[in-house]
Amino acid sequence: MTLSPATRTKTAVVFFPVLGACLLLMPVASFAAGQKIEKHFAVKGRPVVMIQNVANGRIEVKSWKNPEVVVSASQPSNKIGLDVEQADDRIDVTANILDPSAQEADLSENIQLTVPEETELQIKSQSGLIYVEQVRGDMTLESVAGEIHLKEVSGYIIVKTTGGSLICTLCGGKLKFDSVSGSAQVLQPALTNVTLYTSFGNILFDGDFIRTGIYSMKSGRGLVEVRFASTDNFDLNAQTTSGVVDNRAEAFLKPDSHGMRHTASKYAKGLFGTVGNGLAKVELSSFSGTIRILKRD
Amino acid sequence: MLCKDVEQIIEQQGFSPLSEDARGHVASCASCSTLIADFERIVAAANEFPSEVEPPSRVWVALRAQLEAEKIIREPEVAAPSASAPWWQGFGQMIRGRMLATAAVALLVIAAGYFQINRQPRVGEAPTVVAEPFAQTGATLDQEELDLGPMQNASLSSGSTADNSLRENLATLNAFIKECRKRLQENPHDQLARDYLSAAYQQKAEILAAMMERGRSVN
Repeated sequence: MTLSPATRTKTAVVFFPVLGACLLLMPVASFAAGQKIEKHFAVKGRPVVMIQNVANGRIEVKSWKNPEVVVSASQPSNKIGLDVEQADDRIDVTANILDPSAQEADLSENIQLTVPEETELQIKSQSGLIYVEQVRGDMTLESVAGEIHLKEVSGYIIVKTTGGSLICTLCGGKLKFDSVSGSAQVLQPALTNVTLYTSFGNILFDGDFIRTGIYSMKSGRGLVEVRFASTDNFDLNAQTTSGVVDNRAEAFLKPDSHGMRHTASKYAKGLFGTVGNGLAKVELSSFSGTIRILKRD
Repeated sequence: MLCKDVEQIIEQQGFSPLSEDARGHVASCASCSTLIADFERIVAAANEFPSEVEPPSRVWVALRAQLEAEKIIREPEVAAPSASAPWWQGFGQMIRGRMLATAAVALLVIAAGYFQINRQPRVGEAPTVVAEPFAQTGATLDQEELDLGPMQNASLSSGSTADNSLRENLATLNAFIKECRKRLQENPHDQLARDYLSAAYQQKAEILAAMMERGRSVN
């Protein structure tokens, strides 16, 4: 379709200023493959960093006190391209496959990020570890087959994998984990709201239940294990369709002290009770796996 | 009338139909007539775009599974006999007299015995089928999986970790779905099994969507 000079002039009057503004706001850096790059982006408040890695490779996010996001990446081949762009406090990092016929070994892109301590993250990866340490802010982390390791992070944390497992150490805030065959380990948490679901993986929760916290942990075929402290207070509801409830905390588990009478469905095996004053709520379930409840040493 | 007046009219009222004054100006003004012609071509080109794109059925499946999981919508109740009000209770109330009840029970026993002895099984008779939860969802997802077959085969050659993980997890999920369905056929009111089946279907929908997305971006 060709436009007349008059229309082109009228369009240009609107189009070029908008384009110019966009270019000013969004400095785009596109890097040739086969090299190591490092790019610095100054930010004002709490930045939002988005990473989309359609290739493989490790993504590592650490924090510092400077109001600046540093993106470093290394790629061993020229089969992958990396685009980094900034729009005010939003920084987008995208790794693209340039040669779809490339071998798996050539499709690797390791990305390191250094971000302010308060940063929101959205990371999507295929395989390869996602590692986040000492970042405060909401984050959504997705991976098909990669592991996800979080250390000293807090916020509303959403983790979604197909086969990758999660290890969350010293995490705070809210955690939601959903996986097909990945396992979840939550160690020494300070989480007030936890929802863990995996169809075939195992779940381990080793830590304190915060008063008024709500904790739901479900596994289709895997083991759901909860290790609590003798000072914890929670109401427990554990049910399995055809699995086993392994109660190793009989001395601590008393009948529900809040006047609510619980009975398991006639199709399930259940265990109900209260530890301490029952301030938090803990729901455990498994279709055919084992539910284990024990006190930490 | 000037060119800018015509532009103002187009901006405020669109360019069809133009007032008589505007038409008169456009007829004598090369710039405005070209502008109108350009707009007409732009509108014609825009009309060629499809007005609405039908989303893939897996989107609806995932949405439905999510809504069912969150109990925002519910599958129709299964057609199993109600345990709370069996049919014979109503019948029992009807025949309160002891003699009448005894006679009625005797008659029923005789009738049932006669029926059992003389009943010939019909050829090809199917047993009573209890409505299966999420049956429609399951069928739609199975169809999606079949449709995805060629794409899966194409990505088999890539040997990618992510592709392998998706395929393996899909196969395991299918086995788990089978297990949950079997359990629900035995105990249609097992809410826990129903919840796990719902979650498994939702995960299957997401895996299929991920496979489709990877098929598009890699192949």
